[in-house]
Amino acid sequence: MIINHPILGPRDAAEFVCLGDACMMDRPDWQADDALDQFVEYGYLRDNPAGEHQELWYHEQGDRSWLVLTRNTLTHEISKVELARDVARARGRDK
Amino acid sequence: MSQVNRIKGGQIDRSQTWDFTFNSKKMQGHPGDTLASALVANGQKLVGRSFKYHRPRGIFSAGSEEPNALVQLRKGAHCEPNTRATVAELFDGLSATSQNHRGSLDYDLMAVTDFMSPFLSAGFYYKTFMWPRKFWEKIYEPIIRSSAGLGRLSMEEDPDTYDKGFLHCDLLVIGAGPAGLSAALSAARSGARVILADEDFTPGGRLNGETFELGNMSGSDWAALTVAELSAMDNVRVMTRTTIYGAYDHGTYGALERVTDHLATSGDQPRQILWRIYSKRAVLAAGATERPIAFGNNDRPGVMMAGAVRTYVNRFGATPGQQVGVFTNNDDGWRTAADLAAKGVNVIAIIDSRDAPAVCDVPGARHIRNAAVMDTAGRKGLKSVTLTDGQVIPVDCLAVSGGWNPNVHLTCHQRGRPEWRDDLSAFVPGGDLPVGMAVAGAANGSMTLAAALAEGHAQAAAQLKDIGIKAAKADVPQAEDEPRECAAFWHVKDSTKRAWVDLQNDVTVKDVKLANTEGFRSVELLKRYTTMGMATDQGKTSNIAGLAILAEAAGKTIPEVGTTIFRPPYTPIPMGALGGRARGKDFRPYRLTPSHKWAEENGATFVEVGNWLRSQWFARPGEKGWRDSVDREVEMTRGSVGICDVTTLGKIDVQGKDAAAFLNKVYANGFAKLDVGKVRYGIMLREDGICYDDGTTARMSENHFVMTTTTANAVLVFRRMEFARQCLWPNMDVHLISTTDGWAQFAVAGPNARNLLRKVVDEAHDMSNEAFPFMACGEVTVCGGMPARLFRISFSGELAYEIAVPARYGNSMMSVLMQAGAEYDAVPYGTEALGVMRIEKGHAAGNELNGQTTAHNLGMGRMVSQKKECIGNVLSQRPEMQREDAIKLVGFKPVDPSETLIAGSHFINKGAEANTANDQGWMTSVAYSPTLGHSIGLGFIKSGDTRKGEIVRAVSPLHGVEMEVEIVSAHFIDPEGERLRA
Amino acid sequence: MPEFTLTSAPPLAGINKAYGDMHLSAPHDVAIVSISLPLGGEDAALSAVKSAYGVAMPAVGKTATSKSGETLMRLSTDLAFVVFTRATPDAEPVVAGKMKGKAYTTDQTDVWCALQLEGPGAMRALERICPLDLMGFAIGDVARTAMEHLGTIIMRTDTNGWRLLSASSSAGSFLHAVETSIKNVS
Repeated sequence: MIINHPILGPRDAAEFVCLGDACMMDRPDWQADDALDQFVEYGYLRDNPAGEHQELWYHEQGDRSWLVLTRNTLTHEISKVELARDVARARGRDK
Repeated sequence: MSQVNRIKGGQIDRSQTWDFTFNSKKMQGHPGDTLASALVANGQKLVGRSFKYHRPRGIFSAGSEEPNALVQLRKGAHCEPNTRATVAELFDGLSATSQNHRGSLDYDLMAVTDFMSPFLSAGFYYKTFMWPRKFWEKIYEPIIRSSAGLGRLSMEEDPDTYDKGFLHCDLLVIGAGPAGLSAALSAARSGARVILADEDFTPGGRLNGETFELGNMSGSDWAALTVAELSAMDNVRVMTRTTIYGAYDHGTYGALERVTDHLATSGDQPRQILWRIYSKRAVLAAGATERPIAFGNNDRPGVMMAGAVRTYVNRFGATPGQQVGVFTNNDDGWRTAADLAAKGVNVIAIIDSRDAPAVCDVPGARHIRNAAVMDTAGRKGLKSVTLTDGQVIPVDCLAVSGGWNPNVHLTCHQRGRPEWRDDLSAFVPGGDLPVGMAVAGAANGSMTLAAALAEGHAQAAAQLKDIGIKAAKADVPQAEDEPRECAAFWHVKDSTKRAWVDLQNDVTVKDVKLANTEGFRSVELLKRYTTMGMATDQGKTSNIAGLAILAEAAGKTIPEVGTTIFRPPYTPIPMGALGGRARGKDFRPYRLTPSHKWAEENGATFVEVGNWLRSQWFARPGEKGWRDSVDREVEMTRGSVGICDVTTLGKIDVQGKDAAAFLNKVYANGFAKLDVGKVRYGIMLREDGICYDDGTTARMSENHFVMTTTTANAVLVFRRMEFARQCLWPNMDVHLISTTDGWAQFAVAGPNARNLLRKVVDEAHDMSNEAFPFMACGEVTVCGGMPARLFRISFSGELAYEIAVPARYGNSMMSVLMQAGAEYDAVPYGTEALGVMRIEKGHAAGNELNGQTTAHNLGMGRMVSQKKECIGNVLSQRPEMQREDAIKLVGFKPVDPSETLIAGSHFINKGAEANTANDQGWMTSVAYSPTLGHSIGLGFIKSGDTRKGEIVRAVSPLHGVEMEVEIVSAHFIDPEGERLRA
Repeated sequence: MPEFTLTSAPPLAGINKAYGDMHLSAPHDVAIVSISLPLGGEDAALSAVKSAYGVAMPAVGKTATSKSGETLMRLSTDLAFVVFTRATPDAEPVVAGKMKGKAYTTDQTDVWCALQLEGPGAMRALERICPLDLMGFAIGDVARTAMEHLGTIIMRTDTNGWRLLSASSSAGSFLHAVETSIKNVS
C-alpha cells in the first residue's frame, strides 16, 4: 500500500502504523453528565463500513505525523490523506 | 551417443560444449540451453514420476507452466527440489536428478500405486482415512507423509544468501515478448522511467520460439536489437531472469530476480533478490499458455505441447522426436508441423479435430480431418497413438495443441475476475484490473503478432498519458496477422483409458466428473476436492480443461461455471528469498547499551530484552551458577553500592509552554504542579482504564520535562503521546523528541551511593540529603565539566541515584564509576539482580503491568485523579473496575521457607478444589531473596489488601506442584522507605 | 584536576573503508541539535534561525547549509535538526544560545550515528535497503524512513554522496545493513 502523505508525498505503508477508525479523535467531554456512557461508546463501539472509511495512521518511520486517511475498505483506494492535527482543529478540538 | 536429437539452428552457442549429468548419466549441452532442452537434445524422454500414481512422465512444456519435469538440482546443501527443468538454465557441470521414485527412475517401486488407481480417485484420502480415528496419528499420517511430496530437502542449512530491494518507475512492463518490447520501447523513447522484466534469460518471449519475420529480420533478432537499445538507455532497467510474481495495492509489484541460479556457484553474491517495485503504471504483457487436450494415456513421455515442440526445435535446435505427430483443434498447431518439416524433422500426421481443409502445406505429413487421439502406447516413452477410428500411427512424439489461454494471473491478484471470450474459447482479463494496470498482447487476447505489437505500443502510450508523459511515436515493425482459428475441444470423449487433466496432481477427466457427481460443483470445491490446479504449476495448463469438463458434466457453459482466480505468487518463490537477509543473528537489529564493551570485558552474561542486549549478571571466578552471581550482586548492592546500566529505559524530552498541562493529561496522576528540580512517579492508563506503562518524569525547568518509560513500551508511549498532542489536544504547545540513545544512564544504588557519586560529580553541586533529597533532579557536571543529569530515584529501595552522561562517554563512565567505587567494593549488577531487588521492594514491572490490570488492582487506585482530564480516568470509574473484591497486588512467601515459589501459580483457598471456579488470582513474579533468605513472590489475589496473614495454596498444575503461601505486604524490605530517603 | 576523566567512544568511530568504486566512512564529531518550533511562535523561531545561520529554514524534506557549514534538516512541520561539527559535548547550549529562547532545543548528538557513503555505486547499494525513490532525490533532499527495520535519516549530499543517520544503540546492525548492501552490489 502507498500512502500519499500530504507533505512528504507517496510513502510505503510499511513506514506507518495503523490505529483504526478516525472517530478515536472525537474524545468525549470528561465533564459531560453522561461522560461514562459517551466514553464507553468512544472506547468500544466502531462502525465497520464496506466502503469509505476514515482511519488514523501514524508515520512512525517518517515525520511522526498522524494522518487521517479516507480509504475504501473494498478497493483499498485511498481517496484523501489529511494531517490529523488539521482535522482535529477543524472538528473543534483545542487544548 | 550424446545429443541424438540435436538439429541445426537455434539460439545456442555450439562453440562451447558443457557436460552435465542427469541421474549420474553424463550428457552434453550448450550455452543457451535449458536443462529441459539439453535433455531433449540428449534423447532423455523419461524425466520423473508423477505425484500420486508414480507414472512415468516426460517434459511437457518449454516454460514456467511445466507440470511434469520437476527435478532436483545441484548437490549437498545446495540441492534444490521441485525445480522446473524447463526454466533451469544449463551450466557446465550441472547435476540434476529425478524425483518421486523409490529405486531407480526406470523401475519405481511405488509405481504399484498406479495399479491401485481404481481405489485412489478424487477424495480418496478424505473418504478412507476417517476411521478408526486412533489410526490417524500412528498409522495413516506417517504413511501419507512418507509417500507425499515430490522432491526431498537437503536437510542442511541453505548456504546461499538472498537479498531484497526497492525499485521505482513510471511504467513497469511485465513480459518482454512482442507486446512487452513494443510497450517498453514506446515508453522508453518518451523519456519515462521504465522497468522491463521477464522471467526468461533471453527476452523475446514467443519471438524466440517462433519463425516470425519482423520487418526484414527474424523475430528473435528484432527482440535482441530492441533489448540492446533499451539496455543502453539510462531511463530503462531491463531485468531478465526476473519474475513479476504478484500485483499488490497501489501499483506495487513483487519481483524475484534469479541472480546466480544459472551459474555453477553464486560466489559471494546473493543467489536471488526479492524486489518490491513501485510503479506509477504497469503494462502486463505476460503472453499466453498453450493448453492440452485430454485423451487416454495422454501423460506418456513424448506427448508434449505443440508450441513447446516448436520452441525446442526453433530456439534450442533440439527435436523432441524423430517421428512426430500433431494433434490440434486450431490453426496454431499447424505451425508446429510446418516448422518441424522445415527443419527436416519427419512429421507423420496432423490430426485435426476440425473437419476443415489444411491450414498449410506440410511436406510428407498426412492430414487426418475430424479425428482425435484416444489412446497411446509405449512403456516409458511414446511409441504410437490410436485414433478414434481405430487406426494406429507410430510416433515417438505427439505435439498437442488445444488453443492458448491468456496469462491473466496478475490481473486477478486483487480479486479481478477474468471474462470468457467465445471467439478464443478462453478467459481474458476482466474489467476490474489492479489500479494502474493495462494488459497488452496475448495476455489480453490479442493473439496475433501484429496485434500484440500494436497493442503494446497503444497501452504504453495510454498509460503514460495518464501520468502526463507523451509517448514516442509508434515504431511497430511489419508483422503478420497469422491465422488463429480455434474450435473448442477439451477432451476426447471416446477415450476409455484414463485421460489426464492435471498432470502435476494426477487428476483425470473421471475425477472431475466424479467431483460433480458427488456434489462438488463449484469450481472452488472442485479445485480443493480433486487438488486440480494446486502445487508448483498452479494449474497453468490444466485449469481450463477442468472447468470445461465440469461445465459439460453439469450441463452448463464455461462462463456459467466460472473460474477460480489467482493469488500471488505467479511461480514458486524459495523461502530463502522471502526471508532475505533476516537469518541467524541478522534476523532482527540488536541494540547495545553504552557500557556494553565494559560489560563484555567484565564477564557479563547478556540477555535479549526486546532488541536490546543487557547485562544479566556478571559472573566471578568460583561462582557455580547464575544464582551465586545474582545473590552476590544483590547483597553487595544492599550492603554497600551497586551500579547498573539502565539506558534502555525510554527517554522522551517534553518541551513547550503547555508541557506540564499535557503531562497532566497523559498521566493518571497529577503532574501540573510538579516543582522544577523534582521527579515524580507516574502511571499511564489506556483509555479503558488499564494501566499500560509507568515511569518517572523530571521537571528540568518550567517548560522542560524529561520522561522515562519502561524499556518495552518506549515506542508505544511516544506514539500515544504524539496521538494525544496531534489528535486530541492539537492546540497545545508541546514538543516531543526521543533521547533514549542520547544519554548513558546508570543506577547507582546502595548505602554508599552518595559517597561514590560525590567523587564523580563536580564539587560545585551540593549532594547533601537536604539539598538533593529523594526525588530531586538536576543538571550537574561530572569529572570536571562533563554535562550530566542526576536523578535521585530508586527502583531497588536503597539510597539510589540515576546519573546520565552523553552516550558516547557511557562506556568510560561505567569504568569511572567502578574506579570511584572501588573503595566501597562497588559491584556491577545485571537485570536479574535488578529484578530481585524490585520484587523485594514490591515495585510493579512488566509481569504486573500485563495489559489486564488497573491502578486499582495494583494498589494505586487513589493515584487516578478524578479532578482533571486525563486518559483513562473516566472508564476507570466503571463499577466492575472498582469492585471491593478485585484482585490486588500483594506479596507472598512460602509457609515452608525451603520451598521455591513458581511464577504463574494460581491461588486457591485452603480446602477448595483447584479449579477455575475457585481461582483467587495468580503469582506474577518470584525470586529468591538473598536479603530474606527464602523465596518471595508478587501476585494478584482477590481482596489481597485485606487478607494479609492469610494462608492460601499456590497451585501450578503445569508443574504438578502446590504449596501453602502466606499473603504478606508487597514491600518485603524497608516498607517505610527509610533507606531511600537516607 | 578532577580525579577522573571521561573519554568519548562513538559507536562507529574509525569506520573508513573502500569497496570498489564506493567508500564508506563515519564522519567525525557530528553534533546534532533538534529545533522545535513553538506553536504560535513559528515566525519568531524561523527568523531566529535565519539570523543565527544566515539561511532560511528549508521546507520539509529539504536542507539548507550555512556559510559556516551548519546544515539545517527540516524533518517535519515543527521539527528541524541542526547538524554541524563539534567535538565537545555542548552542542545544545551552542544552538540554544543562537535561538535566544525562540525555539525549543534538544541535544540529539548521541542519539544518532552517522555514515557517509560515496561513489557511483552508492545508489545501487542503497536500493537494497531504502524504500524511497532515490533517483527522484535531489542533492540536499532529506527524508526519514526505515532501512532493515532501523529508523534512518537519509540526505543526498552530492550526486554520488549520501549521509545516513540511524540510532546509535543499533549502530552495529546499521553498519552491517549498509556494508552488506555495498558488498552485494560490488
